[in-house]
Amino acid sequence: MTPDTTRRYNIAGGIITIITVIAALIWAFPIYWGIVSSFKLEDEVVRPYIELWPENPTLRHYWFALTQTQIGSWYLNSVVTALGVTVLTVSTSLLAGYALSQLRFPGRRPLWWLILASFMVPTQVLIINHFVLIANMGLLNTWAGIILPQLIHPVVIIVYKQFFDQVPREFREAAVMDNASEFRILTKVYIPMNWGVTTALSIVTFIWAWNAFLWPFLAVTRTEMMTITVGITQVSDAFGVYYARQLASAVLAGFPVALAYLLFQRRVTQAITLSAGIKG
Amino acid sequence: MAEIALENVSKSFGAVEVIKDISLQVGQGEFVVFLGPSGSGKSTLLRMIAGLETIDRGKLLIGGKECQNLVPGKRNVAMVFQNYALYPHMTVRDNMAFGLRNVGMKEADIAARVEDAGRILEMDALLDRRPSQLSGGQRQRVAIGRAIVKEPAAFLFDEPLSNLDAALRVRTRVELAQLHQRIAATMIYVTHDQTEAMTLADRIVILNDCRIEQIGTPMEVYTYPASRFVAGFVGNPGMNFLDADVSTSGKEASATLGDGSRVAMTISIPDDGAYELGIRPEAVHVTTGEGDTKGEATVVEHLGDRTLVYTRLGDGTSVIALDDGRSQVAPGDVVTLRFDTSQLHLFDSAGRAYHAD
Ligand SMILES: Nc1ncnc2c1ncn2[C@@H]1O[C@H](COP(=O)(O)OP(=O)(O)O)[C@@H](O)[C@H]1O
Ligand SMILES: [Mg+2]
Repeated sequence: MTPDTTRRYNIAGGIITIITVIAALIWAFPIYWGIVSSFKLEDEVVRPYIELWPENPTLRHYWFALTQTQIGSWYLNSVVTALGVTVLTVSTSLLAGYALSQLRFPGRRPLWWLILASFMVPTQVLIINHFVLIANMGLLNTWAGIILPQLIHPVVIIVYKQFFDQVPREFREAAVMDNASEFRILTKVYIPMNWGVTTALSIVTFIWAWNAFLWPFLAVTRTEMMTITVGITQVSDAFGVYYARQLASAVLAGFPVALAYLLFQRRVTQAITLSAGIKG
Repeated sequence: MAEIALENVSKSFGAVEVIKDISLQVGQGEFVVFLGPSGSGKSTLLRMIAGLETIDRGKLLIGGKECQNLVPGKRNVAMVFQNYALYPHMTVRDNMAFGLRNVGMKEADIAARVEDAGRILEMDALLDRRPSQLSGGQRQRVAIGRAIVKEPAAFLFDEPLSNLDAALRVRTRVELAQLHQRIAATMIYVTHDQTEAMTLADRIVILNDCRIEQIGTPMEVYTYPASRFVAGFVGNPGMNFLDADVSTSGKEASATLGDGSRVAMTISIPDDGAYELGIRPEAVHVTTGEGDTKGEATVVEHLGDRTLVYTRLGDGTSVIALDDGRSQVAPGDVVTLRFDTSQLHLFDSAGRAYHAD
C-alpha cells in the first residue's frame, strides 16, 4: 500500500467516524432533551427557544410523580407482568425449542412450520381477538390478563431450537449411554451448555415486556392495575398536559430498563444479534 | 463364553444397506479392533452394539443376554467418543460421576469409583478442573475415565486417538494397551489406522464396503490376508502387487511377470491364468547374486535400521524392496531383486487370496 492510498483510507475512515458520531448525537439528543427538560420548570419547557441546561434545576416533577401518582403500583405491575412474561416465555420456549430440535415425534415438521409461520403474524393483528378472549375470560384488569397474550414469542423458540441444533450430537449420545433421562439431558446438559442464550433471551424478553404498551393499554382500565408504560400517560390532570411532569415519569419508567441495559450490555447486544439474525 | 456376540445383524439407512449380515464374537477381556477405510461401516457397527443405532435384523448378545432391543443405558457398555463429548460445564469429577448419578448410586460410592478411576488414569490432581483446562491427551483420559467408572461389560472406542497430534497419539496408544492389560476389560476399538490396529488388537476385524473381509490376529491378517483388499490395507509400506500369468503343474507354479521374468513357487490354485501377485517389501531383497527380476531404483529412503528402495521394473511396474540399513543403492542404479517365494500371494480377479507355501 502506498502512502497515498493509506492517506485516502484515513480520510475515508475519518469521514465515516464523523458521520457515525453525528448520527449518534442525533439519536441521543432527544433522550438528553427529555431528561434535561424533566428538571426544568414547566414554563421553561414551553419556551420557544432551545435551552440546553435548566435555568432553575428542580426535582419537583419527580416528587410529584413519586407522591401524587400511583407510580408505586405501576412499577409493581410492570415488574410482576414483565417477570411473568419472561419466566413463562423463556421456560415454555426452551421446552418447545428442545422438543423441536432433539425429539422425534409425529408432526414435528408441521409444528415447526406453524411456529415459523406464526412468526410472520404481527401481534397487532390479533389484538382484537386477544381483547375479546381476555374479556370473556374475565381477565381484564388483572396481571394474568396482561401476561397471557404476551407469551407469544416464536422467535425465542426459534433461537433455542437453533442453539440446540448446534450442540454436537455426541453430547446427547454420551448422556444416553450414561443412562440419563430426557429430563436430565435437558436440565443437566443442554440448558447448562447454553446458559448464555438463556440469559440473553431472558433479558431481551424482559425488556420487550417492560416496554410493551399497546396490549397493557387495552387490557387495563383501572389506574392501579396499569403498568408503568401505560400509567405515565395518566400523569396529566383536568388542566391539561404538563410536559416536564410527563417527562419526569417517563424517565422513571425507563430507568430500570436503562439500568438493565447498562448492567448486561454485552448480553443484550448478543441477544439482539441472535434474534436479528433470524428476523433477517 | 463370548462377552459380545453379533448374530447375522443387518442395518439399513433408508434404502441403503450399510451392515450386511454380520456375525462376530468377542471374547471376555479381548481387545478387538474394527479396521477399515472411511465409510466401511465401522462406526455404524460399533454404534449398533452401543444402542445408538437400531439393529434391523439379527441378534446382539452382551454377557449372554439379548440386547438388540434394549436402550443404550441398559446394555452395560461404555463408549468413548472421538471428540470425547466431555460436558464443558462440569468438572472432571462431575463428568465421571454423571452416569452414576443418573442411576441413583450413593454419593459415597460414586466418590470412591471416581477416585479409583483417577488413580488408574493418573489424573487424581485434575479431578476438579474443567475440560477446557485440560490438554487433548488429558481430555482423552477423562473420556476413558468416564467409561471406567461405570465398570461396564465392554468398552467401545470410536477413533479415540484421531484428535491427537502424532506424538501424543503414539503415547496414548501405548497407554491404552497398558490400560487394557491392567483392567483386563473387553474392548472394541474402531480405527482406520492399520498401525493402531496392528499394535493394539488381540484380533482385528477388517471391514470393507460394510462387510467383514477377515477376522484374525494381527499376524494372521498380515501374513495370510484373506483378500486382495486386506493385503493392500494392512502393512506400511503396503504390499507390492504385480500382474502375473500363472501356470501350474501340481503344486509347482510358475508366474510370468509383466517384464517377462519368471517366478517359481509352491502354491495351490484352482485354475491357471491371470492373477495378481502380491509380495511385501520385506520379502523383496536387493541382491548382488541370482535374482528373480531387475529394476531401476527411483527413490531410496534411508530409515536408519533399514532402507526402502522404490524400483521400477522393465514394464513400468513399481516394486518396493527392503534393503539393510547401510544400503549402497543410489537412485538410478539398476538392482537385482530376489523374491522370498514362500511369502508370495496370488489374488484372483474376485480378490480371493492364495498363499504360497
Ligand atoms: N445416519 C446415517 N444416515 C445415512 N447413512 C449413514 C448414516 N450413518 C452412516 N451412514 C452411511 O453408512 C456408511 C458407513 O458409515 P460409517 O459406519 O460411519 O463408516 P466408518 O465409520 O467406517 O467411516 C457410510 O456409507 C455412511 O454414509
Ligand atoms: Mg467412523
